[in-house]
Amino acid sequence: MAKKKAKKPTPAQQARKAKLTAKDKKTLNSLVGLADGVFKQASRGRAPYIEVPSRSLSNVKYSPTKKIIEMGSSKNKRELFNLSQARTYMQTLLVGRGCKELIEQGKTTSIRGLYYLLKHTIDGTREETFNDQGDCDPVIEDVEVALNALREELHVYASNRGAMVGNIQLIDSGDEIDCSRMGSGGYAIPSIVEEEVMQFVKCDADFILHVEKDTVWRRFNEDKFWKEHNCILTHGNGQPPRGVRRLLSRLHNELGLPIYCLLDNDPWGYYIYSVIKQGSINLAYESRRMAIPSAKFIGLRSRDYELCELNPSVTIKLSDNDIKRANQIAKYPWFEKKKRWQAEIKKMLSNGFKLEVEALISKDISYVTQEYVPERLAQGNFLD
Amino acid sequence: MAAKQRSISVSEFFAKNRHLLGFDNPRKALLTTVKEAVDNSLDACEEAGIAPEIWVNISQTEPDRFKVSIQDNGPGILKKQIPLIFGKLLYGSKFHRLRMSRGQQGIGISAAGMYGMLTTGKPVKIVSKLSIRKPAHYYELQIDTKTNNPQILNNRGDGLDIPAGEKGRVIMAKKNIEWEAYYPVPEVEEDQTPPNPVEVRSGTRVTLEIEAKYQRGRGSVDEYLEMTAIANPHVTLHYLDPDGALHTYARSTDQLPPEAKEIKPHPYGVELGRLVTMLKETKEGTITQFLTSSFSRVSPAVARRICETADVSTRSSVKKISRDDADKIYKAIQKTKIKAPSTDCIAPIGEELLLRGLHQVVPGEFYVAATRPPSVYRGNPFQIECALAYGGQNAAQKVSMELLERLIEETDARTLRQFLMNTFDGLGADSADKIMKAGEFGSRQSPAKLKQAEIERLHDSMKNVNVSDGQAMQVLRYANRVPLQFKMRDCAITQTVMKMNWRSYGLSQSRGNLPSGPVRVMVHVASVWVPFTSESKEAIAHYDEIQKEIRLGLQTVGRKLGMFLRRRQQVKKEGERRNVFVRYLGEVAQAVSDLNGCDKDEIYNHLTRVARRITKEADTKLDDRGNRISPADYGSNVLIIDEDPESELTEQLEKTAPQKKLF
Repeated sequence: MAKKKAKKPTPAQQARKAKLTAKDKKTLNSLVGLADGVFKQASRGRAPYIEVPSRSLSNVKYSPTKKIIEMGSSKNKRELFNLSQARTYMQTLLVGRGCKELIEQGKTTSIRGLYYLLKHTIDGTREETFNDQGDCDPVIEDVEVALNALREELHVYASNRGAMVGNIQLIDSGDEIDCSRMGSGGYAIPSIVEEEVMQFVKCDADFILHVEKDTVWRRFNEDKFWKEHNCILTHGNGQPPRGVRRLLSRLHNELGLPIYCLLDNDPWGYYIYSVIKQGSINLAYESRRMAIPSAKFIGLRSRDYELCELNPSVTIKLSDNDIKRANQIAKYPWFEKKKRWQAEIKKMLSNGFKLEVEALISKDISYVTQEYVPERLAQGNFLD
Repeated sequence: MAAKQRSISVSEFFAKNRHLLGFDNPRKALLTTVKEAVDNSLDACEEAGIAPEIWVNISQTEPDRFKVSIQDNGPGILKKQIPLIFGKLLYGSKFHRLRMSRGQQGIGISAAGMYGMLTTGKPVKIVSKLSIRKPAHYYELQIDTKTNNPQILNNRGDGLDIPAGEKGRVIMAKKNIEWEAYYPVPEVEEDQTPPNPVEVRSGTRVTLEIEAKYQRGRGSVDEYLEMTAIANPHVTLHYLDPDGALHTYARSTDQLPPEAKEIKPHPYGVELGRLVTMLKETKEGTITQFLTSSFSRVSPAVARRICETADVSTRSSVKKISRDDADKIYKAIQKTKIKAPSTDCIAPIGEELLLRGLHQVVPGEFYVAATRPPSVYRGNPFQIECALAYGGQNAAQKVSMELLERLIEETDARTLRQFLMNTFDGLGADSADKIMKAGEFGSRQSPAKLKQAEIERLHDSMKNVNVSDGQAMQVLRYANRVPLQFKMRDCAITQTVMKMNWRSYGLSQSRGNLPSGPVRVMVHVASVWVPFTSESKEAIAHYDEIQKEIRLGLQTVGRKLGMFLRRRQQVKKEGERRNVFVRYLGEVAQAVSDLNGCDKDEIYNHLTRVARRITKEADTKLDDRGNRISPADYGSNVLIIDEDPESELTEQLEKTAPQKKLF
């Protein structure tokens, strides 16, 4: 296993001959095919273009049977000879070239690394190929969808975000890791958690509790919530990156662990839940591998303000942007038909404020770990 | 008290009020003198049907004194008329008739003579030759300002007769009388023998010595002659400036303007006072006869209707028409519908000749001309012609180092900025500031104190600064082919140009100002009676009818300019688009070749070819308004020097003869 990491620290020329896996070969083939297409079009005097599946709300479909968001079939043409697209076209090919280099040398790099690899001044101008990383990231995603290849297949990863503790032992790149012995920091979830890299060894946990951010996660870890309730505790630092999502999905699917989410009571919290459950609009093509349709939403709920008798001073007033976003979310097809969710969103809007999980600390420092979550787990009181 | 009151002669009046005639300052006096003489010469030549050839010599005799002599190849002047024409104010042939001509009042040249006499004490010298065989007459004249009568000074008051032929030339040489006896010989190739010089058969030469100041730039003699050459493409001008440089403006056509017919006044244009005078002067018996014979477009039927409206018998005697009746007739005329006057009394320059004249003198890329149909104001027929030249360099950028040195020497401007703006027409304040900044001159720098190195720096910055953006449109105004150089702001022409919206024709313009850009607009008002705002004939009065016609004419040329500019913009845009693509092609080719191992140059060539095809197609298909662009839709009377924006136009113009396309 761990074929990708089989490379040795050799000089570049030798690295070029790095052993390629079947997956690598497939990715390389599609990269070469991309270039062949350009050559073919140009040599026939036609304006070259690349077809990139559209990654917008209009091109995602919610599948009620699979309960995940899937990408539709609509594609955008990216043309070289179009004033507004010429630059992105060039960037798309550059990213393709960079990925080929990485695969051939059997190395991986972060998206930031790829950005630096490809950034240079265009000959005879003062223009940079990429101005900043924000210029580069969407292009990488475009290449992923255009080639129907995953990010890890392109040998690119995102920075690590999110952590995990709990009763599970796994092997990451050949190293055995016991997640119950990770101290206060926890195990940092890498961005690539595919089977080639990570294998589960032993798991005793009964369920997974996913919290929104680091601060809450630390509270749970310090109180040894996972020991007491025999669970795995994860966080995704806000909107969970795909490494975290993929790991959650693998844990759920391979080990059959149910997932409960503890998120803020605001539109962003709702959307994080939605991404974990159905997949995101932007990465709809990966929902298959990442979405967990049975994930449950523990809280915070809008009604918790009254139920937990919270102090009015812990509330945060909804901004115009929040209200707009809440209405948008309420209209998503995967929320539209759920009466309880509609009621939840309506309640928040009528409250006129949002609540962070940390607001519960105003009751007692460990209120959330000792009362709030255990109570709801015991009652089976979730939003679905 | 009563004993002190006496009549004032015209000459005395104008001697004291010389500014009314354009002699307000020494610089303008020089121009006015040249102008009056040249205008008279041109009128004379055209009336006689001779293609005009005019010599203008200006030389400095003393500081602040210049000798000006102007000779034409016109019919010459009868001996007994010479003293009156040059030595009596308000004597002339043009005042009493209604016919298009340059001169009108008969003041000009005699006033110049009087000015010379007042400032230098020197007489006006006139040589007139009627034909090749007949003797030439030579006069030295002065005006008696008290009586407004000429005094002949030479040969005991008789003037001198110089016999024709060799004998005469000897006398002329002995008496130091200047006369151009031969036309200049055209230059030929070295191996060919030059043709024999052709003798000047007839003509008039007037020489004056006046107090004056010579200065180039706006409102100068040079400018006047250049502008004259534009509006009179049938004229050849030889101009010897005070520095001894000879400028020749050769005619671009031999075809003389058609002779303008003299017309009778139109009833609408006659005021009550004039009507009363005419009634007194007429030799006709009845009122009907008077009306039909004195006015144009008055038939017996029209006369009867006027009389009916005025309640005056058609057969009443003119002698018995009272002042009240005259008033009634005057009012009746205004109420009666009378056909507009015939307009064949006006001889426009014509669109083709306008283009030729403009192109001959003004460098540019695009020329367009439009002649409006004749129209009428206050019963006077008039016609408007507009022409426009776009592109070319500003005078500030063409100026040579030596010329710049001389200009700086001559100028009386206090600051360098003022000098730049006054000397170079069309150079706006912004451009002047840019030049000053580029040359690192202080804002209060005086041109008089510039050192040689500083002048060189100024010259460099004038050459290098892009002045075409801030450059204001230059308006060339003409009345009956005579350039108008002063009182620009008061003139109906300038006012109309400023009131128009030039933005829709692709020029930038701030509200109520002249548009900016390397544009010259020429407007010619031709009329049997051009309404000037003052006697010095510097600005045209604001008649609604005239302004409307000017506007229509300007719109015609403006539309074509707009088409040209839009098209050029389109071509430029295409170039820019291509640049955008070409910028990325190298990167794309490299990436493709890295990816699939194909030849980088090959894919690059393929891509460039596609880029060329696509940008061309996309741009030529439609213009901004979605209309299809085809190359030859400018219509008639447009002259384009070079359409290719990529080649250096100015260089081409200098190196080779411009490629002319007349369609």
